[in-house]
Amino acid sequence: MEGILTNLAVGFGQVFQPVNFLMLVIGIILGLLVAVLPGLTLVMGVVLALPFTYSMDVIPAIILLTAMYVSGTYAGAWTSILFRVPGEPMDVPLLWDGYAMARKGQAAYALGWTLLSALFGGLVAATVMVLLAQPIARIALTFSTPEYFAILFFGLASVVSLGGSSLANALISLFFGLLIATVGVDDTYGAPRFTFGVQILSDGIDYLVVMVGAYGLGEVFMRLEQGFKSAPLEAVDSIRTRLPQLREVLARKGTFLRSSVIGIIIGLVPGAGATVASFLSYGVEGQYGKRWREMGNGIPEGIIAPQTAATASVGGAIVPLVTLGIPGSGATAIILGAFLLHGLQPGPQVFAASSNIVYSMFASVFVGIIVMCVIGYFAMKPMVRVLEFPEVIVSAYVMMLCLLGAFAARNNVTDVWLMVIFGIVGYLFERFKFPITPLVLGVILGPLAESSFMTTMISYGNDWTEFFTRPISGPIMAAAILTLLFPAIRHLRHEYSQRRIAAKGRGT
Amino acid sequence: MNCTELKQRSLQVGVALLLGLTSLAVTAQEKYPSRPIEFIVPWGPGGGADQLARKAAPLMEKELKVSLPVINVAGATGQTGLNKMLTSPADGYSISIFIADTLALQMESGTNWKLDDIVPAAIMIRQPSAFFVAENSPLKTWKDVEAEAKKRPLKVGVTGFGSADDLHVIYFNGKGLKLISVPFPKPSERYIAILGGHADLLYEQLGDVRSFLDGKQMRPVVIFADQRFPAFKDVPTGKELGHSIIINQFRAVAMKRGTDPQRVKAISDALAKVAASEEFKAYLKDQYADENSYIPASGAVDFMKHEFDTMKKYAPKK
Repeated sequence: MEGILTNLAVGFGQVFQPVNFLMLVIGIILGLLVAVLPGLTLVMGVVLALPFTYSMDVIPAIILLTAMYVSGTYAGAWTSILFRVPGEPMDVPLLWDGYAMARKGQAAYALGWTLLSALFGGLVAATVMVLLAQPIARIALTFSTPEYFAILFFGLASVVSLGGSSLANALISLFFGLLIATVGVDDTYGAPRFTFGVQILSDGIDYLVVMVGAYGLGEVFMRLEQGFKSAPLEAVDSIRTRLPQLREVLARKGTFLRSSVIGIIIGLVPGAGATVASFLSYGVEGQYGKRWREMGNGIPEGIIAPQTAATASVGGAIVPLVTLGIPGSGATAIILGAFLLHGLQPGPQVFAASSNIVYSMFASVFVGIIVMCVIGYFAMKPMVRVLEFPEVIVSAYVMMLCLLGAFAARNNVTDVWLMVIFGIVGYLFERFKFPITPLVLGVILGPLAESSFMTTMISYGNDWTEFFTRPISGPIMAAAILTLLFPAIRHLRHEYSQRRIAAKGRGT
Repeated sequence: MNCTELKQRSLQVGVALLLGLTSLAVTAQEKYPSRPIEFIVPWGPGGGADQLARKAAPLMEKELKVSLPVINVAGATGQTGLNKMLTSPADGYSISIFIADTLALQMESGTNWKLDDIVPAAIMIRQPSAFFVAENSPLKTWKDVEAEAKKRPLKVGVTGFGSADDLHVIYFNGKGLKLISVPFPKPSERYIAILGGHADLLYEQLGDVRSFLDGKQMRPVVIFADQRFPAFKDVPTGKELGHSIIINQFRAVAMKRGTDPQRVKAISDALAKVAASEEFKAYLKDQYADENSYIPASGAVDFMKHEFDTMKKYAPKK
């Protein structure tokens, strides 16, 4: 314990060296920018930053990339809340409650919750990461493909709690998303599917194109239909720009803690990361939270759950990287690359051999989260003012960002056209009361779920009971199935009680 | 970079973009390379292909004077990334790592690309492969593995079906061992599978799991090479055990067929310089690779054909 604290103190000392601190701030700002831009994902941002670290010393390099990773899980919430355009896939669950709050004139309040969630989730995970790295690393090893599949299945099932009014419409939307996700060369056997001999389709349809199109462009089309005169937002100024009160925070401590734990565990699991953590946490909150009935109508819980989990996943993902040499997420995989390029092999030996580097990385997570929140705090006020701009102008900028994002995804013009098509699809969905989120959820999680399903089947001789008999995947699958059955049961009970009331009415 | 420089630079970029857009005929005569070259890695970050690209890219940048952003496009045993390169124009601004595993897919007729679709610029690294067990596995030696695989099926973590990894599994199936290939395209999932006991064996190149070897988490039980490795004196080669199967894990840099030969040469020359550098030699050593790994463009096609014939020899007869 004392050893840890001494090492951590040395780490902090490193982070506050002028050059290193400069790198940290640059990393934070780059991460915020990458997160705000739809189409440029966090992982892609870290990949783009990697070459700049070649010529640096190892410590500033690692600090820069870690800082980017930390702040990249945060700023995408801004665009979700203000414009209903998720900056990162992990910000999709923030749309319901975040944007709903903004429509109610509580944009600043929603942003305040985001900031607090990122701060809380990030710091809790960072503390766990420092104190318990060795013991919890073993959790990562107990997860295999059946567990990955169970987690993803739960994520997909959570669509029910998010579907809004019609379960049937939500499921149609989800399966349409899953269908889109199958386009391209299949991951396991390399078979081309729905490619129609078109080369670009064999590359698959990027989920970014669907996400940015259906949300960003779809929303612009909706507003266009109404002549950019949608119900005016309640005066922004009437709500004070404020952070939530301590009392309000304490009332939601369960949500904070639950979401942090989910974030850390999902972060630990290789191949999942912030997006899965965010979806899963929202789903759990919608199912087991105190105010699950109100989820989606603009309550803070709907912001806390995904944001806390997303930022908490950072600490989780760093643990297997430094203890086992196995990255817990896409971004940590790139950081692993940076380690390797500087001739360091992460693994159990790094704690002994290069503890100063590991602890600088740990310290940069702490400092990074705080710097990020300070920047976020001061950015909040000018951001909210954007809502006072005429809708036409904001829509024009949203559209430009969407087009840029679609092109940036793969540097391919076809993606821009695909994005426009999905913009129209998103508009039609909205118009005919089909929820868009299940569609996007299917496109993002579908391929991950498919490959872990296939691998499990191959690994366990096509025995599907494997998902239900394993100690970790079993309960998760059970929870997922309950999630799916719950609305049906609720519906039946409702009918039953209605009938009883009716019967009673006749009796008297 | 001051303000005027910045303006100039952005002007240059703008002009380059315009040129690129207006006419491909014009770009053919323009100086190559004049803008960043996309360096595709058809595998996830952290694996051997990724390490090669990230090692080579900065060294190539010194020669070519443009940046080479490395992009990971994983999936379908490297075909997703290869498709990305093949769908880009043949202008030399998109190059890709091409490895033995992807070549092995050519044995199947279903692929939508042919070896003729690509032009190798150089073979950069050749590494021997091995079967590994977790350090705490009850299987300690190849003998243990053989005995166990006759009793129950053992799971082998491989990159994908049809890969060189898979061919080794098929080869040993032919020798009466019950081994099942379980594909994990992401290296991190493959390594978790063996360390967490979800798979019994791992097929991998020695250099790719060096950190696990140094950290005493995994060890090789058989190495598929001509001679024993000094670092693993006690581990038998496949040959000693009577299994002469040796499929090199090679990693090449490839371009699209139809690219101007001058441009292929520019990349090839840059790679020759990379291969000759001390830094790259140290990297080969670090990766437990053959120190004479490098094969220039002229010999690369023949080498790949030879490797392909070897693979075909061990592939299941249909």
